[in-house]
Amino acid sequence: MKTMTLNRSSTKAMNYKVKKVLGAVAIYCVLIIVCAIFLFPCLWLILSSFSATGSLYDTPGFFPESYSFDAFIKLFTDTANHNYPQWLANTLVIAIFNCIFSTLLIIGTAYVISYFQFKARKGLMKSALVLSMFPSFMGMTVIYILMTQFNIVNNIWGLVLIYSCTAPLGYLVQKGFFDTIPQSIYEAAKIDGATNARIFTTITLPLAKPIIVYTALTSFTWPWSDFILPKLLLIEKDNWTVAVGLMQLGQDEFARFAAGSVFIAVPIVVLYFFLVKYMVNGMTSGAVKG
Amino acid sequence: MKRAFRRLGIKISDSWTNFINFFKVANTNTKASMSLMGLGQFMYRQVGRGIMYLGVEILGILFFAIYGFQWIVGLFTLGTVQGDPWTGKQGDNSVIFMLLGLMSVFLLILFIALYISNVRDANNTSKLVLKGEKPKKFKDDLKDLLDKKFYKTVLFLPLLGTIIFSVIPIVFMILVAFTNYGEPYIPPVLVDWVGLENFVQIFSLGEIGPTFFKILGWNILWAVATTLLNYVLGLLLAILLNKKIVKGKFFWRLFPILAYAIPGFITLTAFKFMFAQGGPINNMITSNGGSPIPFLTEDGTWWARFIGLMINAWLTIPSVMLLATGILSNINSDLYEAAKIDGAGSARQFKDITLPFVIFATTPTLITSFIGNFNNFGVFYFLRSTVTTEGYFVSNDTDLLINWLYRLSIDNQFYSIGAAISLIIFIITSSISLIIYIKSPAYKKEDTFR
Amino acid sequence: MKSKKLISTLLLSTLVIGLASCGGGDDPDDGGDGSVFDKFDGNLEVGATIKVVENDTAIKMGYLDELLDAFNEAYAEYNITAVDANQGEFADLPNSGPYGYGPDVIYQANDVLMGWVQDRHVTPLPVEKIEAYQSGVIPSAAQAAYQAEVGGVNYTFGVPLNIQSPLLYYRKDLLPADWETTWDDDQNGVPDMVENLVDLYEFSKIYHEQDNTKYGFEFSLNDFYFSSGYLFSYGAYLFGDNNRDDTDIGLHAGDARYGVQVLRQFAAEMSAACIDDSAKLAISGSMASGKYFSSVTTPDVRSVIVSTLATTYQSEKGLTLEEATALAEENVIGVPFPDLPANGDLINPSDEMIECKQMGGINGYAMSSYTKYPNASLAFINFATSYEMAKLREEFLQIAPARSDVSAESTELSKQLFDRVSNGSIVLMPSIKAIDQVWTPAGSFMGDVAADSNRGANAKYDTLDKIQAALEQLSQDIYDAIHLLDR
Repeated sequence: MKTMTLNRSSTKAMNYKVKKVLGAVAIYCVLIIVCAIFLFPCLWLILSSFSATGSLYDTPGFFPESYSFDAFIKLFTDTANHNYPQWLANTLVIAIFNCIFSTLLIIGTAYVISYFQFKARKGLMKSALVLSMFPSFMGMTVIYILMTQFNIVNNIWGLVLIYSCTAPLGYLVQKGFFDTIPQSIYEAAKIDGATNARIFTTITLPLAKPIIVYTALTSFTWPWSDFILPKLLLIEKDNWTVAVGLMQLGQDEFARFAAGSVFIAVPIVVLYFFLVKYMVNGMTSGAVKG
Repeated sequence: MKRAFRRLGIKISDSWTNFINFFKVANTNTKASMSLMGLGQFMYRQVGRGIMYLGVEILGILFFAIYGFQWIVGLFTLGTVQGDPWTGKQGDNSVIFMLLGLMSVFLLILFIALYISNVRDANNTSKLVLKGEKPKKFKDDLKDLLDKKFYKTVLFLPLLGTIIFSVIPIVFMILVAFTNYGEPYIPPVLVDWVGLENFVQIFSLGEIGPTFFKILGWNILWAVATTLLNYVLGLLLAILLNKKIVKGKFFWRLFPILAYAIPGFITLTAFKFMFAQGGPINNMITSNGGSPIPFLTEDGTWWARFIGLMINAWLTIPSVMLLATGILSNINSDLYEAAKIDGAGSARQFKDITLPFVIFATTPTLITSFIGNFNNFGVFYFLRSTVTTEGYFVSNDTDLLINWLYRLSIDNQFYSIGAAISLIIFIITSSISLIIYIKSPAYKKEDTFR
Repeated sequence: MKSKKLISTLLLSTLVIGLASCGGGDDPDDGGDGSVFDKFDGNLEVGATIKVVENDTAIKMGYLDELLDAFNEAYAEYNITAVDANQGEFADLPNSGPYGYGPDVIYQANDVLMGWVQDRHVTPLPVEKIEAYQSGVIPSAAQAAYQAEVGGVNYTFGVPLNIQSPLLYYRKDLLPADWETTWDDDQNGVPDMVENLVDLYEFSKIYHEQDNTKYGFEFSLNDFYFSSGYLFSYGAYLFGDNNRDDTDIGLHAGDARYGVQVLRQFAAEMSAACIDDSAKLAISGSMASGKYFSSVTTPDVRSVIVSTLATTYQSEKGLTLEEATALAEENVIGVPFPDLPANGDLINPSDEMIECKQMGGINGYAMSSYTKYPNASLAFINFATSYEMAKLREEFLQIAPARSDVSAESTELSKQLFDRVSNGSIVLMPSIKAIDQVWTPAGSFMGDVAADSNRGANAKYDTLDKIQAALEQLSQDIYDAIHLLDR
């Protein structure tokens, strides 16, 4: 009897193990395919930035036939028409300040809308949704004229202002996050007599790290890819952002275009390296227990 | 209908009687505030409040006397003197007139609102005093702004920014739909109000109406398909990467992040090249003896649509994954422990805890991304902006409404027609998404996971 | 209660002021009188800074620096300086100018500059104060490109400086070794295949047979700037009344369908890259590798082709960079478009040949209406379009001058282009705003024509009647884009 059960359980364990291994293999296969799909265009872009001929349209296959650093060297030395270093600096400033202001405003808005029950709340939520349905560039002419009246055209701070001011409309995702934070956490603090401002800074903000990081990343990356509004607002080339500049570069200098874009992907990837652990290490459990 | 009107009538007459009664009942201090903002507050020794209300009144009157009134008049006339840049003759810029007029109207509304709040405040204080309590001190007001009224403090800047850079532009565009702004009526030429003429044109001119409906149909299909695809795949990816069995999560997540880190317009240019007639994919096909596939040319309607869908998935999935990852990490681990004690297997745990939680927390994303995709300008602007299709008025068969609007108003300067069309779209889409939003669990039952 | 009174008095008074300001408006349309030129009183604005928009190539090759230095030295006594406006060659004058951010002087093609006339963003120039016009060196076709009638008066808005036009570029070293005996029937020293399209068609077939990855002639048909000349050659035109009447679209006029047929036949011998931008963007590499024997592009691209070819030579033939560049310069040759068969059929061509027209433009300087320094800007324009500067420009940039005196001393190709402008073989881009509505639909149509050879039985343009119908539809579509929303 005893041996039989032992045997049975061990075959069961074997089956379970086989299943587990098979499952793992399947998961890894899927992962490899998915990653290949994401990697291929990026890899292609990176390799083409090292293309020796400067153009990519002349090779029969995907990848260049010979490689060199020319495109990168040109990017930083041939600045007569395409002052890439300056554009890079401009975009970095815009991105950093947009990241700070937008994140503050979005997180604040989302928290308030999620946590407070005030009269205008539902009305605000509905109007925010309706406002965000409007195609943004239809208002661009007005925004441009508005900025000429404020006299902040051709100025990167004008762009920071517009980005930050329009950011809170996209609060919905962040509010979704705050809606999942248990009320019990707040109530404990309330009993301790903390004000709402204090609760926000000492309890909510630390809890909201993943969503703050997400928001910061999104607001940091946006100025790198937006080109319609900056093209309109930033008149002189020395004030341009990277996106505006690269769009003017044209596709016949594809290697340089690719080099310019690979280079701006670097800060974003680096940022991810530093921030990812905040994003995935949830802290809710700790807070509730502690 | 009749009843609704009657009810409205009653409501109005009610509020009028209320108003009269309010005036009769109001004490001296409230009346003082009615005549001069802040006076009532001064009389209760609320110096801080009093100064602020008085300041508002002085500034408001000065503003409207010097600029505001003229600007509001300008909103109606849209300028009367036409300038001429050639002779240097200064004229009225209708567009600036419209903008300044609009801003003055907003300020007027704000001023009236502050006036009413001033009266109400005085009245509330007088009620407190009647009850035998002391009028609130300015210090208390400030304290409130960090506690009970903390939401006001936080929302002040976002609201201000939204009004200036979202509400005013939108109201402006709505107004433009009722003018003749656009070629050849562009400043310095004076713009005029034309009523509903633009809307009449849209539906009476042969090509515009049909183009509108064709594009609208495709646009809805696109928005639904791409939103669902990106959402489902992004969520699956996040869940997959969250599995305990997956080692080296950091490494695996890096690939989607790489895709995320490269700005969209760059990847779109690269994709356009891949699918070009002389691009690598067609080169491979032709060198193996096939004939080139018209991916993005005039023939390639469904090819281009499909490619657009796939490319948008490639661009968007990483951000959905990032978001879902952040949310997954926030699930209260007590729930799992409780489930384990109840003997629930990992499949049950997933079905009963993970999935509802993630779906709840990401529904708002669905709505925002639906809106974003409905107005997704980039994909088809990059892939096919050099193509026009027969039967589409200055447009092609993969253009979304936003691309069409761009061609109409930015490329061709038909601002007023563009504004009229976007107003129609705006009404349709915002009402649809508003209904969906209000019916969604994330809106109805916000407290599900609290 | 006092405040209420105060408000009402204030409101009343502002109402009165407001109404008063509404009343006194002059006649809004007084553009026609001579006062337009009052600002050119000849008094140079001392201390002025003139912002100049130049061509990107001119900046890259260092010409702009030469020009600015020379000007600033010449006008140092007035303390007038010209600077690079730093806004890129596609400066957005309509958006930046009215609000005071625009440049003062702009160098661009005539279609761009003249497209701004209707909204009065560029100002009429006093012809009698401009040296280039007074010395009679500007051909009348180029003059006309900068003239427009506004309010019944004919004004001039720019000073022509250069001719721009696409050219056929070919590789001399890829010609058959014995071309002088087999491919030069008229013994004029120019290979026949770059003189007429029928021979190029024949040669393309042979070239492709030798190596099926290579093509004798290939260009992006969907670029209407390149492909419109074939339609013009057979009688098509863009706008009526010498490209001034935008209510008359003539892309289907005359025997324009022959031009479409010629391109459709030739497209069958090209690769799929001719359907979209691919051929245009691949040109430098493809010409360097010999994939294309010939192609069509604008002259500013030639330097890129030459440098790419030089790199190829370096690795293939083991030459030094200087040697390779010199050889490449010699082998990349630009010529006007080859002649066409009069019957519009490459497969069964007629003996009679007609000259192939091509679209082109006149680049020149114009002045922003919003400049604060009209006299200094005029001095700059005069300086930059003078004989000396035009000559220096030609040396720096190797482009065809529009001044007859500079052109006479220039290269053979420049002289050819100059003559072609004068005799109308180069059809200048229309100088009216409506041209903006032409490029996309017309280019899209030509791309569709290029794709037609892949359609087999489903061909859309295989008979002249079908082509004619399609061209009429195209003209109608363009008309609608311009006029459907007129009021």
